[in-house]
Amino acid sequence: MTVTEEPTAAVREVGKDRRRKEDQRLITGRTRWTDNMQLTGMLHLAMVRSPYAHARITNVDMSAAQQAPGVISVLCGRDLKDHQGELPCAWPITDDQKCMAHPAVAVDRVAFAGEVVAVVAARTAAQARDAAELVDVDYEELPAVVDLKKAAADEVLAHPELGTNVSATWVFDSAEAGSGGDVEDSIRDAEVLIEREYRQQRLIPSFMEPRSTVVDPTGEQFVMWTSTQVPHILRLMLALTLGVPESKVRVIAPDVGGGFGGKLQVTPEEIITFLMARQTGKPCKWTETRSESLLSAHHGRDQWQKLTLAARRDGTVTGLKVELLADMGAYLGLVTPGVPILGAFMFNSIYKFESYRFECRNIFTNKTWTDAYRGAGRPEATFAIERLMDELAAELGRDPLELREQNWIRHDEFPFSTVAGMEYDSGNYEAATERAKELFGYDELRAEQARRRESGDRVQLGLGISTFTEMCGLAPSRVLGALSYGAGGWEHASVRMLPSGKVEVITGSSAHGQGHETAWSQIVADQLGVPFDDVEVLHGDTQISPRGLDTYGSRSLVVGGQAVVMAAKKVIEKAKPLAAHVLEANVDDLEFSDGRFTVRGAGADQEGLGLAGLALRVFAAHDLPDGMEPSLDADATFDPVNFSFPHGTHLCAMEVDTETGETTMRSYVCVDDIGNVVNPLIVDGQVHGGLVQGIAQALWEEAVYDDQGTLVSGSFVDYTLPTSADTISFVTDRTVSPATSNDLGAKGVGEAGCIASTPAVVNAIVDAVRPMGVQDITMPCTPERVWRAIHGGGRGGATEESAMPHFEEDAPNQDNPGTEGGQL
Amino acid sequence: MQLEHSFTVEAPPEQTWALLTDLKTVGGCFPGATVTEADDESFAGNVKVKLGPIAVTYDGKGRFVERDDGAHRAVIEGTGKGLRGLGNAGAKVTVQLAPDGSGTRADVLTELNITGKPAQFGRGVMQSVSDKLLGQFVSCVESKLAAGEAG
Repeated sequence: MTVTEEPTAAVREVGKDRRRKEDQRLITGRTRWTDNMQLTGMLHLAMVRSPYAHARITNVDMSAAQQAPGVISVLCGRDLKDHQGELPCAWPITDDQKCMAHPAVAVDRVAFAGEVVAVVAARTAAQARDAAELVDVDYEELPAVVDLKKAAADEVLAHPELGTNVSATWVFDSAEAGSGGDVEDSIRDAEVLIEREYRQQRLIPSFMEPRSTVVDPTGEQFVMWTSTQVPHILRLMLALTLGVPESKVRVIAPDVGGGFGGKLQVTPEEIITFLMARQTGKPCKWTETRSESLLSAHHGRDQWQKLTLAARRDGTVTGLKVELLADMGAYLGLVTPGVPILGAFMFNSIYKFESYRFECRNIFTNKTWTDAYRGAGRPEATFAIERLMDELAAELGRDPLELREQNWIRHDEFPFSTVAGMEYDSGNYEAATERAKELFGYDELRAEQARRRESGDRVQLGLGISTFTEMCGLAPSRVLGALSYGAGGWEHASVRMLPSGKVEVITGSSAHGQGHETAWSQIVADQLGVPFDDVEVLHGDTQISPRGLDTYGSRSLVVGGQAVVMAAKKVIEKAKPLAAHVLEANVDDLEFSDGRFTVRGAGADQEGLGLAGLALRVFAAHDLPDGMEPSLDADATFDPVNFSFPHGTHLCAMEVDTETGETTMRSYVCVDDIGNVVNPLIVDGQVHGGLVQGIAQALWEEAVYDDQGTLVSGSFVDYTLPTSADTISFVTDRTVSPATSNDLGAKGVGEAGCIASTPAVVNAIVDAVRPMGVQDITMPCTPERVWRAIHGGGRGGATEESAMPHFEEDAPNQDNPGTEGGQL
Repeated sequence: MQLEHSFTVEAPPEQTWALLTDLKTVGGCFPGATVTEADDESFAGNVKVKLGPIAVTYDGKGRFVERDDGAHRAVIEGTGKGLRGLGNAGAKVTVQLAPDGSGTRADVLTELNITGKPAQFGRGVMQSVSDKLLGQFVSCVESKLAAGEAG
């Protein structure tokens, strides 16, 4: 590992593999998730959802439900239409973007299967669910458009009144931006052209804790506990959507069990729970079932990518043209339109292109809406370019790693302005690749691959490469403004020095499994020289942490962590005059290190003054310097000037059984450069989890709809989410080139594994079977698809039915429809 | 989705046709079905079906959209609403009879639209369930023909 950290003090917390502070309460069941909340007189909600992908609602008969046991209130769209406002989309990517009003409860038309049409509030959750089944809704079915390409052709309209399915077209062109040449010139002059079309299948975020919301309307403020990544954004949006003063709304995100972007949303159910609580005057709780979650929580990815890569015969890449179709689903969620645009700056990745053009058309379909999912736009971009680089290598008969090296930005070329207009501040692709090759045994595996090919082994070996980069630290507010995003990208922190010497850190980041309490404690312990255990990190409650922009886009450490560093530094500056006063020294002669103020030149044996003692003096305020405010507390808001750009080299070896199409992962090595590391254990956790999520896109997961718009992979039987039993032990390591955009030198790691691993796996499978004429296999690369591709079926075909067969005849423990169906 | 079935019965086409178009009688032959009202053109009733893990009762109605007594061809359209919010179903069934030796061969083409949970969980078993149901339907029809209940 190449370490270029600054010289470390005797006991530094940053860099230690501290066990997470939050884990004890999480794994011993002492925490309270939203669904654990029990309030006096609380009602429970159940949603009635549309079974149709597109239909007019002709009647909603709620009489039977209203008379059901325990039912307090039943509301449908008619009842709520004047109160519910519209769900917000904060990212209109173009001035003429077409957007459909998105009510929390559908009023007269539903546009996807799973849309809420009515809500029941009852004394118990079971009563609410039973009563919801009694709500009798009459629909008049309308033609639904499910397939993305068909939708782009405007044959059937998802929203007839818009007149088109195209929501917006967004273009970046390096010639127009002045960051490069005209891609059409590069294509015209190309000696080699690689033209490919890749499918990014639709995925479902599948967080561990299902979504849950509790609203208490009985106090002076409405208090909402909710399983969200974005309590601050949600509070503002509730106020804007429902016309409630922001000051009358408090949002609390208690411990939240994962989000992966899936809880970066203002959900219909949050609005509905709020409205029902307001209407009944009683606390209300809604907790989804897993089926509801898969069906109606927003989905991710879902793109067709048409790609043209121009190169010279010597392997130098020259131009890249990207034409995307991005499936919005039925509505635009909080950041839906911007997700594919986040990929616009990453298709060129670590390579030096002369020209680049990105064009994305955002398309409506009658499916669940898409929005952020781990990586959001960047996994799609990374997949495309890393697959293309392998294709170019194959076309030219070159080693894919060597071809990449020929084209990537060398470590002595940083900072580097890319053809997409980004400035990469630091990186060392050579170092990460060198280490990864060594850990992987690249040359040995290539030799084995050659032997197996030669001997015609039934099991072929493929090596997959992904030398990825991504942009983290969302985001410089100016850049977001230029991209028409509705908010900034800063983050806020406060450090409060308590009289007893303990420290409270308030952060606007909103952890939902990332371990911020541990990492922030390590940072503050080093900054202030206080013990790790003396730092308490508070977050996720708009009353405790009033300012913040929450957690997504690998932003917490590089933006929120930097705000914490800045607030801590302000505390020291505030304490300095008092320290000088007590030590009877000049402020300019003071030094602060390891938590103590000392006087320069006063000798090594001086006792100095600790911050804890100063905090007590400030609390008492008996003897402060003239004019000093009796407080050491400090706030800081950090707005980054640039993104950070983690990178890494991921190498994957896959064995492919050419007779059955079964694939087996043999080895996975990743060497990531995420800058300086605060807690290597947390980093490893993020990398491992990310890898599995990215591998799952390559091999297992897909949200499948039938031609009527029914989600057929709507349970974990069909949506094949992997467990640890499905994966191998990964080899992870790091190289370090610190980021220059923050004092920590950190780059962000939350999405890295998920972004890098997908193309590594698919590249490995294609590499294994390329001699059999295979150029591509559609994800997820199921054994069936691999087999079909080997046997001349192109890319293995589309998913017609559910991903995995089930209810096989004669299988044990299954109902026999022959007898059961007939005797009912 | 489309389901195709064919069966033969030991009765001449005229007799078979008469039975198959007597909706009240023939409806009773469909496993799980109850015909509550029927006339020459339309019918109403309900049917309980078990599709894999989902048991659903559809309450619905249907009518002849085409009926050619001479050519022994009929097209029946039906819609059903799944009770307890279990989604709806619609079917367009085309029946064509033809002589088959001394008996009759019936070709049945069903265009089935289902939504909701039965669609989600039942797609994989739809053909096999319908095959089994049809098998029972045919033996019931045959017994009625043998007993000379119609025609």
